[in-house]
Amino acid sequence: MKKLLAMVLAMTMVMALVACGGNKDSTTPAQDTPPAENNAPEAPETPAAGGELTLWTYPIGNWGQEDKVKAITDAFTADTGISVKVEYLAYADGDDKVNSAITAKSAPDLIMEGPERLVTNWGDKGYLVDLSDMFDDTDKSEINAAAMTACTHSNGEVYEYPLVVTAHCMAVNLDAFKEAGADQYLDMATRTWSTDDFIKAVDALYAHFNSPVGAVFCKGQGGDQGTRALVNNMYGGTFTNAAHDQYTWDDPLNVKALEQLKSMPGITFDASLEGGDEIKVFYQGILKMAFCWNIAQQLNPNLADTGAGLTASGEEIAFMAFPSESGAPQLCGGIWGFGIFDNGDQARIDNAKTFIKWMCDSEHTVDAVKTANYFAARSSAEGTDLSAIWADNDIMNDYQVLMPYLGDYYQVTKGWAGARTEWWTMLQKVGEGANIAETVATYAGNANAAAG
Amino acid sequence: MAKQSHPTMSRALQKRENITGYLFMLPSLIFFIGFVVIPMIICIITSLTDANMHDQGMFGNFVGLSNFTKLTKDVDFLEALKNTFIIVVVSVPTVCAFSLWVSSAIYKLSGPVLSAFRCIFYLPVVTGSVAVTVVWKWMYDNYTGIFNHVLKGAGLIEQNINWLGDSKYALWCIILILFTTSVGQPIVLYVSALGNVDQTLIEAAEVDGATSFQVFWKVKWAQMMPTTLYILVITTINSFQCFALIQLLTKGGAGTNTVMYDIYWTAFKLTEQAGHFGYANAMGVVLAIFIGLLSALQFKLAKEK
Repeated sequence: MKKLLAMVLAMTMVMALVACGGNKDSTTPAQDTPPAENNAPEAPETPAAGGELTLWTYPIGNWGQEDKVKAITDAFTADTGISVKVEYLAYADGDDKVNSAITAKSAPDLIMEGPERLVTNWGDKGYLVDLSDMFDDTDKSEINAAAMTACTHSNGEVYEYPLVVTAHCMAVNLDAFKEAGADQYLDMATRTWSTDDFIKAVDALYAHFNSPVGAVFCKGQGGDQGTRALVNNMYGGTFTNAAHDQYTWDDPLNVKALEQLKSMPGITFDASLEGGDEIKVFYQGILKMAFCWNIAQQLNPNLADTGAGLTASGEEIAFMAFPSESGAPQLCGGIWGFGIFDNGDQARIDNAKTFIKWMCDSEHTVDAVKTANYFAARSSAEGTDLSAIWADNDIMNDYQVLMPYLGDYYQVTKGWAGARTEWWTMLQKVGEGANIAETVATYAGNANAAAG
Repeated sequence: MAKQSHPTMSRALQKRENITGYLFMLPSLIFFIGFVVIPMIICIITSLTDANMHDQGMFGNFVGLSNFTKLTKDVDFLEALKNTFIIVVVSVPTVCAFSLWVSSAIYKLSGPVLSAFRCIFYLPVVTGSVAVTVVWKWMYDNYTGIFNHVLKGAGLIEQNINWLGDSKYALWCIILILFTTSVGQPIVLYVSALGNVDQTLIEAAEVDGATSFQVFWKVKWAQMMPTTLYILVITTINSFQCFALIQLLTKGGAGTNTVMYDIYWTAFKLTEQAGHFGYANAMGVVLAIFIGLLSALQFKLAKEK
């Protein structure tokens, strides 16, 4: 009797395991089946006008906030009958999730990010759908030319439909600058300053506060556009060549900038901080300047909820362009939009294109752009003027002074992920006191070698 | 086993019992084969290929031992290997020695006091590693951390120490956290092992005039050898596989890159590079070989003892 019971128990456990493990979703598209066969669904469960989509989005402004995104996707669903299932990615592990999904052939229909991922990485490897057919001559004339170029692969295919753009900048604690008498070096009208004035300001701040006032953060790649822009702008160095096929950060001008930064007691090379960490320390009022900044931070009321443009203790934050010798800084751009993964299901691809058209080129584009809290990547969308949508927001209006300083979008250079790793590792070595010229040459060489 | 306990059991009965036993094992076996054995085989096979996420198929192209040859020249990997060995060499003996010392001091205490000590030392083990790490991160913080605050307040340092951002300190800070999270289980095991040492042998040794040290070394230590071996092997494996602390605190920077972290970084972050899965798996195979060799050595030494 005991043994019979044991047998029954064992069989039950096995059956339970089989039952739990073998439930393959019959609605999942057969990824290995050639697309042509998938184009003819036998019995669509939803009407042709309906259907469903999966969207994975990185935290691009409020596109990372569920309540804001739900509002706009619900409006889309009400309009088109296509439901949208959204998954929110973090920059810390978002790439891992997407890469794992690609490997497991379960990538989402839509992904929202920038050209460095959509064009240089996933588009380049053939995972994304070419969106060229979505752009007519009117679209091309309306969309920011630099954004359009960045979203277009060197093979001519377009892997991202741009929605919003911004310029990455730096920020200063204006009250601290005034206290140290360093505000004289800031041109608040143009939000620019010269490299000499930057050096004088840092020295004045250090003399006053007796601790580092700025951090060249290099724990990881998070926010590294800030350290790149700082180094490149100080003496006019470049990160890549114009053709975007070679990393040129071993430029002597960059070496000069790094040597200058390393020699300044007010600047620390901090391998315990990434961009996000630096912002927190800046909000705490410990650092007096942040190199990882853009309009999203300027609008952020911070964790202490003291209000937009204020530190946790209420000191005024001013956004600034990076210091340059020429007075004409070249700011790193942020371009974000949508790409479509080629999952082999034409109906879903069509639905995804409907989604993109609705968000990026229709009267609803205003809402989609405002959800992101950045600037529209185009001047108008199907007759709706987008140039003045932030007229009611002083901070956004002020910030537009930086947009003409948008520089080359070099993030589309081949081997970008590897190059970023080389960059922050190089900064760590420089911070530890390694020979700067040799270190820069080694790591730039590694980046070029890995890019092939 | 069935034969020994039931020598007169009929063959049919034995067979039936064996089948029942295997059926009980089956669920675990399915998991073990599915999630340990098969991935291990795949790992070994792909370490000989240029497998990556972009090409069709799991195994990529066969490249022989070139991944392993490349590893011998990979500066990052060699540094990670060095750091991993430092962690193992430092943490394993210290964890064992400290837990043995603490256990010897507390195992004779009365029930509630002993339980309290066991709880204190076991707390970091049962607390989530993320929570523990976050607290340590606050304490190590370059700008607002308590360590800098106290040291500065005591006049021992003038400028803050960047504990996790300076390669002079970062790896040792990681080892310290690893130490605190690793000693709990060995202490509990040693307390239990010390409590189970045969008292008659101890008394006999004492009657024969053995000193306290001789009693410990010749009687207690010898009887605790299986426990020590288990602790050594487990601590060694855990130290070799140190990942979460690195990921959460330094991301492999400031001289804290380890082989486990390098595997993760190569496999999942450097996805643009050709053959990254194969190369990362080659690192995994090398790590497994080292763990295997060290564990075998520990088994052999314990056996000789």
